[in-house]
Amino acid sequence: MRALRAWFVRFGGLFGKRRRDRELAAELESHLQMQIEDNVRAGMTPEEARRQALISLGGVEQAKEIYRDRRGLPWLETLLQDLRFGLRMLAKSPSLTSIVVITLALGIGVNAAIFSVVDSFLLRPLPVPRPEQIVVLASHQQGAPMGASHFSYADLTDFRKQASGAFSDLFAYAPAPVGLSVEGRADQMTVSCVTGNYFSGLGVKPALGRLFLPGEGERLGDSPYVILAYSYWQTRFGADRDVIGKQVRVNGSPATIIGVTPKDFHGTYSILDMDGYLPLNMFAQGPQAEALFTDRKMRALRVLGRLKTGVGAAQARSAVSVIAERLAVQYADADKGVSVRVIPETLARPDPDIGTMIPVVAGLFLLLAGLVLLLACLNVANILIARATVRQREMAIRSALGAGRARLMRQVFTEAILLAGLGGAAGVILGAWASGSVLAMLPKSNPPFHLDFSFDWRVFTYALGAALFTGLIVGLWPAWRAARTNLNAVLHEGGRSDSAGASRHQVRSTLVMIQVAGSLALLIVAALFVRSLHRAQESYLGFDPHHLLNVVVDPHEIGYGEARTKDFYRRLEDGVRALPGVQSASLAYNFPMGAFSDGRPIEIEGHPLPVGQPPPIVLFNEVDPAYFATMRVPVLQGRAFTDSDNETAPPVAIVNQTMVEKYWPGADPIGKRFRVVGSPGFTEIVGIAGNGTYMILGEPPQPFFYLPLAQSYTSLRTIQIRSSVAPESLLLEVQREIRNLAPDLPIFDAETMEQALAGANGYFVYRFGATMAGVMGLIGLILAVVGVYGVMSFSMAQRTREIGIRMALGANRRDVLRLVLRQGLTIVIAGVVAGLACGWALTHAMGRLAAGPSNPGPFILGGAALFLACVALLACWIPARRAMRVDPMVALRHE
Amino acid sequence: MAPDKADVWQGTLALMVLKTLESLGPLHGYGIARRIEQTSGDLLSVNYGTLYPALLKLEQEGHIASEWGTSDNNRKAKYYKLTRAGRKRIEKEEREWEQTTAILARFLTPSEES
Repeated sequence: MRALRAWFVRFGGLFGKRRRDRELAAELESHLQMQIEDNVRAGMTPEEARRQALISLGGVEQAKEIYRDRRGLPWLETLLQDLRFGLRMLAKSPSLTSIVVITLALGIGVNAAIFSVVDSFLLRPLPVPRPEQIVVLASHQQGAPMGASHFSYADLTDFRKQASGAFSDLFAYAPAPVGLSVEGRADQMTVSCVTGNYFSGLGVKPALGRLFLPGEGERLGDSPYVILAYSYWQTRFGADRDVIGKQVRVNGSPATIIGVTPKDFHGTYSILDMDGYLPLNMFAQGPQAEALFTDRKMRALRVLGRLKTGVGAAQARSAVSVIAERLAVQYADADKGVSVRVIPETLARPDPDIGTMIPVVAGLFLLLAGLVLLLACLNVANILIARATVRQREMAIRSALGAGRARLMRQVFTEAILLAGLGGAAGVILGAWASGSVLAMLPKSNPPFHLDFSFDWRVFTYALGAALFTGLIVGLWPAWRAARTNLNAVLHEGGRSDSAGASRHQVRSTLVMIQVAGSLALLIVAALFVRSLHRAQESYLGFDPHHLLNVVVDPHEIGYGEARTKDFYRRLEDGVRALPGVQSASLAYNFPMGAFSDGRPIEIEGHPLPVGQPPPIVLFNEVDPAYFATMRVPVLQGRAFTDSDNETAPPVAIVNQTMVEKYWPGADPIGKRFRVVGSPGFTEIVGIAGNGTYMILGEPPQPFFYLPLAQSYTSLRTIQIRSSVAPESLLLEVQREIRNLAPDLPIFDAETMEQALAGANGYFVYRFGATMAGVMGLIGLILAVVGVYGVMSFSMAQRTREIGIRMALGANRRDVLRLVLRQGLTIVIAGVVAGLACGWALTHAMGRLAAGPSNPGPFILGGAALFLACVALLACWIPARRAMRVDPMVALRHE
Repeated sequence: MAPDKADVWQGTLALMVLKTLESLGPLHGYGIARRIEQTSGDLLSVNYGTLYPALLKLEQEGHIASEWGTSDNNRKAKYYKLTRAGRKRIEKEEREWEQTTAILARFLTPSEES
């Protein structure tokens, strides 16, 4: 305790230094005088008395020094001194300081921005107690397409019963769009239909009212309740606390609002912000509603669990796979070939299948960002080394005045860390702005994306770490130099430094060479991303995406029955077709790359599946006769649907080329039959459509079939409008048409096909990757150019005398140019060669990880190398011109 | 300045300073130094470099307090006096010293058993 008190007093001793010094001097002086007086009293002469007193008391200045060290905290004082001095040095050369700070800010900013994205996907835990216990259960059935990792309710019940050893709770949700009517006004909202124990399992407490209780909503008809999300409660209900108990209609059925979730809870589907929560029994309607709870083939639930305390992932995994195997035997018709994985929640965002890929992508981008930071560090190190040369005399003088090596190194390091700290602070600001712009890049979608790239402590820690790393890197070499300053040589040299810089120059050239190499690697990766964006934008999608408007509605959301819905759509289609500027219009369940892609298990007539093999799941769409003409999907063989393919006619289908090749290879498929598993009769193929892109851009060709809308009813439909005018200009009139027919009906989604294509299922990912990689490539390029320019002009400035002598001895301008360019060219060529190797290795590693485009090919490799070499040589050209203009007389008299 | 030695010195010096202040009451630095020299029979000589840092340390730890005053022959001087914490420390240190010397004494006087 006493030591602590002393520490505080000493900390206080850092202040009011002058007054204390005066006091000490006075005290020592009075001590001395008293001793002298005593000596005089003992019989000495005044001079002798003073002499003796001084001898016995020892050195006054030394005493003061010891006293001062004891009074304050010497190391802190030195640090403050160094900081003050460093700041003064930085303020003295503002342009150099700002270049360094901006360079570091770019490097650290890119890292902070990228890391904030990574943080939001991979690191930030759910806002629930003990989030590390939350895991996602992902099922996979052999032959099922990617993304089908869901559970049936019946399977969930079995897992709940049998896995209670490993999990304290298993709960599930299923996102769904619903219509919410309050006092006659209908709105579309995105909800999660959840099991009763969803909130208790997660440990979420209500902000208002109550949440669902375990067991609630897991039987048909009970608990018609609605829970609102905080933000939706704020915007839609103005944070009205009386909302609890309010009667509303969900998809036309009466329900009561019972609670509001807390502000920071956005649901468990990470990229969407849920507007509310419904009990599971409101997920489906009619016969489907019953099937949700009984049919094991109806896999709609995303299952999460909370591990019991002390249970590890491995234990949970083995418990789950035992149960999965048991179920596969017990309910072979539904669960054959199903395996279940247990994944930490943070690695399953937004979907288990995508989630496991995200760390790889994140690693790639962090690697690129790290490369940018490294380039920035090299640049700054180069600048500081140049400055160290200039400051060599200062260091020598300090050392002559008694500063030890450690002290000099500390000074240089303090300055480097100071610069890195400034750069880090600027970088965090820049990064926050950058991640804001990344968010602004996100496509508008329905339901809207919810991504939070805000900076939390993890991002700040990362940025701080990056800044410290930077400080160490850029300070290392100058500090080492400072400690090794050769006093004699520097002071004797009298300020001339023709020869001293040779080895240092080697170092700087090497650094620039690495910069050129790293920058080229970045450029190659960036070019690769840009190329794949270009390819994606140019690729043939199987239909014509121009002049096309999609509007999605679902009359079920305002409680329309089947007859009324069909009537509504018939009148809507007629009304839209009559609008001026509309060429044609059609109705379908989904549109290509739309939000509602759906697949069904099928069986081919005459090809029964081997026992134990699950049926293949094939994507499909339900379309009306006008669809093929409106979308310009080519029907290659047979016919399109007609109005006579109605409820009473025999069921028909149109399949795509890939489906023909896969299931009827070599045969004429027209007239062949297949059926969706579980449907009573077989469906006859009447036409073959061209292949297309159905779910996401870049998918491999996959089987697909079309069914007539008239033969399979859905209430949610998209109307496609092919226009001769700009499609967005039709939107208002289409909305008016819908409002005339059904005033309350919320419009789900209304965008042009081109807008949709820019979205998440379209080339957004490509654009995102291209932008990020492009920005990093650009920064890398700028840094490399600045590096080359810096090292060349510094070297020219140092060689002014040499060039002057050469010119005096008869060298002409061309010789000088050759001299300079040779030096520059050596650096650039060495850098380009190393960069090609790096870029090649990097892109191949990317290809191996399947995380991005790969195989740059000679065009990109050569193009990037040539481009960089040209820009770098241009950066050499300016100092070379300056060298050419050297006037020998001036150069020799200089210094 | 070898910190180890100074610390040892300061450890014992601190106790001497405290004992001096206990027996003589508030005193300036010179007075303390003279008193210690006299008590030691002029075996010790206390110079600035050891005395004032020791006084500062004691003050920082709160064992003594200081204020400016005037000496007998009308000279301005800084007077140090014992605080309550200082008295406690004397008791503690005295006990420890007695113990230490007693132990050491057993080593230094030849044992009768052996």
